[in-house]
Amino acid sequence: MDQLIQENKLSKEEIFETLNQFITEVIGEEFVEEMDITPASSFTKDLEMDSIEIVAFSEKVKNHFGSNIDFTGWLSNMDLDEIIQLKLENIINYIQECQ
Amino acid sequence: MPVISLPNVRLHVQELNPEGAETLIMVHGMFSNLAVYYFNIAPMLAKHFRVVLFDMKGHGMSEKVQTGYDLTSMTNDLRDLMDALGIEKAHLAGYSYGGLVALKMATRFPERVGKLAIIEGPDPSEQETLTIIDTYSKEFLIHYIENFADTTRLLAGKRQLEKNHRMYEFLFNETSIRSDMEGEKAFFNDPAVAAIEHETLLIYGEESNCVPSGRTLASRISNATLVLAPGDHNVPVQQPEVIGKELERFFEPSPLPVG
Repeated sequence: MDQLIQENKLSKEEIFETLNQFITEVIGEEFVEEMDITPASSFTKDLEMDSIEIVAFSEKVKNHFGSNIDFTGWLSNMDLDEIIQLKLENIINYIQECQ
Repeated sequence: MPVISLPNVRLHVQELNPEGAETLIMVHGMFSNLAVYYFNIAPMLAKHFRVVLFDMKGHGMSEKVQTGYDLTSMTNDLRDLMDALGIEKAHLAGYSYGGLVALKMATRFPERVGKLAIIEGPDPSEQETLTIIDTYSKEFLIHYIENFADTTRLLAGKRQLEKNHRMYEFLFNETSIRSDMEGEKAFFNDPAVAAIEHETLLIYGEESNCVPSGRTLASRISNATLVLAPGDHNVPVQQPEVIGKELERFFEPSPLPVG
């Protein structure tokens, strides 16, 4: 098939599933049950994550996807308004680009 | 990592640039957590230093404990953390009550502290925090979170409001934080504060009602410089770039003279 696609490259769906799991671990299953988490969910508005929860989430992303992904560095280039607007799909795209 | 077991408490720690030659430890304020530095200010400083951030006991993702919120216990925790991480000496930056923790470190363990940056450290003798605690109520809390919570200027949703409410309920009703803070009222008059010899930067928001506290410290600490930045008590959240740059300029080792 397409030679450009590396065999071990994760699909957007796989990355989404992993991130979804991290969000559940950070904010707790009881809250996640009431939410409909989609790639379009924003961290602060839809998921109501505060900054320390985003720190915990970043830690999980770093530990899972490895040091190729400078997630904190990527976030630190955003101002707070951009972080407020941040959606799950932005992170999925970023992780895909880094693979 | 990132939760480290110390003799008295388990603390949540985050490190940036662990290979940095010199270490800078940043201490957050009451009712806040390390996220106040994590996204903007710490990455700026991590270009030059190993940066260590931690959540104080009872805050963020550190262990919830009932006692030991006074400055002596807080500095015991910080000393233990330095020991656990193998840090002999570090620069310190502290915000609000964290600034008082940094000052206390300089008085108790002067040889383990390099330079000292105090952001909006309040004089505990006139600190309205104590009044805030006395007038605490849920209505107050909603107002406080929307206007003064120093972690971010994110508006709190229902789950966050409940979470913050639980934190305040815990800290106010189940811990000694209130009496521990009251016990520190005379701290600025401690002769040990006036004896601090470390190079010290005092950053206050020009609109902050803590500016007189900054002036008091500037008059007592011989090697201190006071800088006013645009903003109020929440200046690290309002102006992270400005605060980051001030800290960068202050802490960055001056290049060796040529020749």
